[in-house]
Amino acid sequence: METSATSVATPPTNDSGYPLREMVRVYGAVGGFARSHIVIGWIVLFLLVWFFNPIKAMPYPSEVLRAFQRMWNAPGSSGLVYNVYVTLKLNIVGVLISSVLSLLISYLAVIPLFQPFNKFIQWLRYIPIVGFNLVFLTLFAIGWPMKVAMLTTGMSFFLVTSMTSVIASIPRMKYELARVLGYNDWHVFYSVVVRPTLPAMIDMIAQNAAMGWVMITAIETFNRTEGGIGSQIYAYTSTNQLAEVYAYLLIIGVIAVIEDGLLSLIKRVLFPYSLVAERA
Amino acid sequence: MTDNHTDCIPGPLDQMPARLETLLHIEKVGKEFPMNDGSTFVALKDFSLEIQNIKDKPQIVSLLGPSGSGKTTALRIIAGLDKPTSGCVLITNGEGQHLRPVRVGDVGVVFQRYPLFEDLNVLHNLIDPAVRSGMNKDEAKEKALRLLDEFDLVKQGLAWPLQLSGGQRQRVAILQQLMLDRHFIILDEPFSGLDPVNILNVIKLISNIAHQHTLNTFLIITHDVTSALIISDHLYLLGRERDKQGEPIQGSKVMKVYDLIAEGLAYRSDVEDLPRFVEIRKEIRLVEFPKL
Repeated sequence: METSATSVATPPTNDSGYPLREMVRVYGAVGGFARSHIVIGWIVLFLLVWFFNPIKAMPYPSEVLRAFQRMWNAPGSSGLVYNVYVTLKLNIVGVLISSVLSLLISYLAVIPLFQPFNKFIQWLRYIPIVGFNLVFLTLFAIGWPMKVAMLTTGMSFFLVTSMTSVIASIPRMKYELARVLGYNDWHVFYSVVVRPTLPAMIDMIAQNAAMGWVMITAIETFNRTEGGIGSQIYAYTSTNQLAEVYAYLLIIGVIAVIEDGLLSLIKRVLFPYSLVAERA
Repeated sequence: MTDNHTDCIPGPLDQMPARLETLLHIEKVGKEFPMNDGSTFVALKDFSLEIQNIKDKPQIVSLLGPSGSGKTTALRIIAGLDKPTSGCVLITNGEGQHLRPVRVGDVGVVFQRYPLFEDLNVLHNLIDPAVRSGMNKDEAKEKALRLLDEFDLVKQGLAWPLQLSGGQRQRVAILQQLMLDRHFIILDEPFSGLDPVNILNVIKLISNIAHQHTLNTFLIITHDVTSALIISDHLYLLGRERDKQGEPIQGSKVMKVYDLIAEGLAYRSDVEDLPRFVEIRKEIRLVEFPKL
């Protein structure tokens, strides 16, 4: 499944006829067969580095596998399933709430009255999320509500920035087409601003969901009462159990890829023209 | 180019057609833009133009000028997209109606790159604007299907705009305007980037659509002298005056008008074979254009 991860567009190029040479040329003309070999090559390289790594800070695959077993068998709140569930739930709720909020703030930026607020939210992305701890502590109870609030707020700062840039990139010609067709303000807003940008907004959500994983671990470290992957990573790091840390990092990687793929699938099903646009 | 490509244009007139009411009146329009250094750039100055309803004929008028002569600025003002700094643009949308200041949406515009709603298929690119303008959805669909059939686009009805060729996009963009029952349409550089065969196809297309209603008025913004001469009944040359040193003075205006009906060059399929056509084309290309 092709995911929404950004890939480099390849303009037409003259094929030299030598596949190996094409692999190292700028915009080299590689077919599907050569491309799959490139991917396999990188996987093999990664596994070789992992199996025979000279860095002691990186556990061997066998150690990570054993860590998985231990975590799986661990009871209750220290178990793998429980902690993945806690973090996944937080991630999904955080992505959903921040997406809705950010869409609202971004789309409202076409109304001059709301533009300063939008700019302010974008500026807040420079402020570390821990800078808001006191605010969150005052407003929310420690635990689930505070974690959701922190994640939602932190992700929204970045999502609003990305989503506003999507709206800003709508060509002026599109607005003018709608105007000459007699569309009123709300029709222009829906037909030019909202409807055509929804696929790009899903891409923005996918990109920022990845950033959400980085935030989650920090938020769960700060707020460890309920457990979760972040708090587990913190605990295992402080006791130098690196195999367990890497096991959780692998889980995050797998969940992120699945999430990315699901968002890409949703985009294609709901907005089939986006596939045509990508190919064009 | 041979005359068989222009056979869509009805034959020569037996007599000079009567000119009826004014459909578009542009009087001394000026347009200035503030520049970053505090100065002002004058794009248009005293730009005046009038299009009259020609009895039993559509009106096809070309605004011809080289790059940078203010054609696009003029288009935007006529379409109501920009307000002039001075002067006025008055329009009437039908027989017996009075002239009134133009508003955005009065005039259809087919923009140069044929923008469409990329997230709607071709059929809905036609239905959506019509429904939003108040047309019944079934009626809009019926009309859209009829137009697609008429303009050989039925197979593309369910295609996305990105899947269309340049020529197909242009036709859909024109049909989008026709869905709204507008008589006044501006076409921005419709011949730009086309090969000679396709230029003639576009000339046929515009002429065919224009001749569907006597009130149809097409204003073609172009720098293509030959195409403008073939298709138009009036041709306005837009350009800038020059000072004593030969330097262009800011502010484009209509420098010359060719009444091609009076010249006997309008509504003719054999127009390119006429000596006067060749003379005027030469005059514009070699004498008038370099001065603009």
